[in-house]
Amino acid sequence: MDSSKFVVMLLVEDDLGDQKLTKNALADQEIDVELRTVGTGEEALRYLQRCCNEDAQSPRPNLILLDLNMPGMGGKEFLKEIKANEQLCTIPVVILTTSNSEVDVQECYKLHAAGYIQKPGNVQKLKEIMSKSIKYWFEQSSLVKS
Amino acid sequence: MNTFKTAVILLVEDDVADQKLVKRSLSQAKIANELHIVNGGEQALEYLQGSKNGDKQTPMPDLILLDLNMPGMGGQELLKHIKDDDELDIIPVVILTTSDSDKDILESFKLQAAGYIKKPVTLEGFHEVMQVLSEYWFVICKRIIHDNECKNKINQCLISR
Repeated sequence: MDSSKFVVMLLVEDDLGDQKLTKNALADQEIDVELRTVGTGEEALRYLQRCCNEDAQSPRPNLILLDLNMPGMGGKEFLKEIKANEQLCTIPVVILTTSNSEVDVQECYKLHAAGYIQKPGNVQKLKEIMSKSIKYWFEQSSLVKS
Repeated sequence: MNTFKTAVILLVEDDVADQKLVKRSLSQAKIANELHIVNGGEQALEYLQGSKNGDKQTPMPDLILLDLNMPGMGGQELLKHIKDDDELDIIPVVILTTSDSDKDILESFKLQAAGYIKKPVTLEGFHEVMQVLSEYWFVICKRIIHDNECKNKINQCLISR
């Protein structure tokens, strides 16, 4: 495997249907994506804590895809926490949500989200979106080395 | 998705040749855009102050493309100013630089850059980069609306929370 074309993404999403949709959209992309999925903000923080402790089973994500509406700690609260963390704040966080509220968009950019994508209804559309996002983040952009 | 509104891009770049390359490639991008160019950090702050004052000559950018190595105020210093500003911090800032130093990459993301692109060397390279970048920020991602009527509605929502 060409290690330069291998990325780790963390999906923070509580809906099982949407988890599946995103997983399918990320399969068969030009770049090999290792997708880790957690269902809550709290789980995501625990995962990231393990990354900081250099747990081999928990590779540090190169990008986080974040839903907003989740039980317990919502997406914005999670975003706020990791942006306040010196080790984690350099990971780009892209919002992937059903919400198209202007207030949500504004608040997320204020919290330094690196993109805000409204989930499309079907997997084909999401595949296209993921392909273009992957091109932007992993082919063209340089990221902080893990 | 608000793909209908022309995207306003502010390029902060001191090198005249690179300004031309960005201008040329954006003029051919499939997404309608309006490019404004300033050649340094201080000029960028002046431009953005005008944006805040509602100056029509310096409309609030939807995206800032930022070179790092400029005389006077460097790119990272400008980025810090922008992210410390209550009105400007919501604007995504993408670094566009010749530097591929790990230190610069780390520092830029620490300051909440929303991308870090090493300047291509050919015009084709620039075309491709600008096409992908403009698609990501103006088609795929939702944009913040900067017109005042919407802004007031949003502020009312935020206050009432």
